[in-house]
Amino acid sequence: MLDVLDTFSALPIASLEVGHHLYWHIGNLKVHGQVFITSWIVIAILLTASVLATRNIQRVPTGAQNLMEYALEFLRDLAKSQLGEKEYRPWLPFIGTLFLFIFVSNWSGALVPWKLIHIPEGELAAPTNDINTTVALALLTSIAYFYAGFKKKGLGYFAKYIEPTPILLPIAILEDFTKPLSLSFRLFGNILADELVVAVLVLLVPLFVPIPVMMLGLFTSAIQALVFATLAAAYIHEALEGHGEEEH
Amino acid sequence: MFDFDATLPLMAVQFLILMALLNAVFFKPLSKALDERDNYIRQNYKDAEDRLAKTQELASQYERELAQTRKAAQEIVIAAQNEAQERSNQKIAEAQREAQQAREKAAAEIEQQKQEAMQSLEGQVSALSRQMLEKLLGADWVNS
Repeated sequence: MLDVLDTFSALPIASLEVGHHLYWHIGNLKVHGQVFITSWIVIAILLTASVLATRNIQRVPTGAQNLMEYALEFLRDLAKSQLGEKEYRPWLPFIGTLFLFIFVSNWSGALVPWKLIHIPEGELAAPTNDINTTVALALLTSIAYFYAGFKKKGLGYFAKYIEPTPILLPIAILEDFTKPLSLSFRLFGNILADELVVAVLVLLVPLFVPIPVMMLGLFTSAIQALVFATLAAAYIHEALEGHGEEEH
Repeated sequence: MFDFDATLPLMAVQFLILMALLNAVFFKPLSKALDERDNYIRQNYKDAEDRLAKTQELASQYERELAQTRKAAQEIVIAAQNEAQERSNQKIAEAQREAQQAREKAAAEIEQQKQEAMQSLEGQVSALSRQMLEKLLGADWVNS
């Protein structure tokens, strides 16, 4: 598959690069520079929108405040529907930031023509199409739900591993590994696949034909952000509640 | 594709920083604004409801008073009508009595005058019958 793509990339019209990164060296650590560049842009967009919205808070919202209030109410409903009225407030920033960051990242990948900006190596793309980003977010989710469980029940949190029966202990332990794995790979796979499909179609037919796939990509991107945030909230809820709800 | 390196922990740290920043500039102030607006609306709604209840109470009170007043007015009217009726009856009765009296008086006068006339006629009977006799028999015969 990748060989085929490489032969295509020999063509001058457009090119596909998978696995090439712009490496930055910090001490003796290597980081993917292109991921950070786009993620900073995403962060800048989020912070700018937030500051614009909250700079001058009115009772009757207008403009940016209205937009961000709409976003906030959406996130509140999301968190509330998963965590319940009582528990959702302390977790709202985490779940909300997850959603906003993934959503803006995904849409930036679908809407901003990053590929026109040339960098020395690799290419700019949505931060979420790098496995490091998605795994980082998934691991944070794992830490978050462990933290939620321990904070609520202390060491009694481990009781959920042997309830209702100790026979399920291996599966319960396995779940703690499959949760971040499925979270990160779902997001990574969807976004990378979407960008690859669009890129391949652009290679084959440069005009108009990729547009439906791009629309589908926008849809998938939004859905993936929603799925990630919802699942994170559901895992936290599970840890808070404790009685074994199976994998969603 | 799957090369993990320092991007992962740095991304996690960056995400946590983003979360803290967004919490400070987005979630907290805007949540506060939403809650305040909710409170404001709820307060206003409650005030309006209170006021509505008060208005309804006042309206019903006014209606009650109005009904009472109407009843009182009707009573007054009825009383006045009764009084007027009574007074007119009284007046009519008085007038009838007066008329009766006047009639009786007139009748008595007539009777009296009749008696008088009869008496005076009776007094003249002998003279008249004498005159009649004189006319019939001649004065000489009668006087003798």
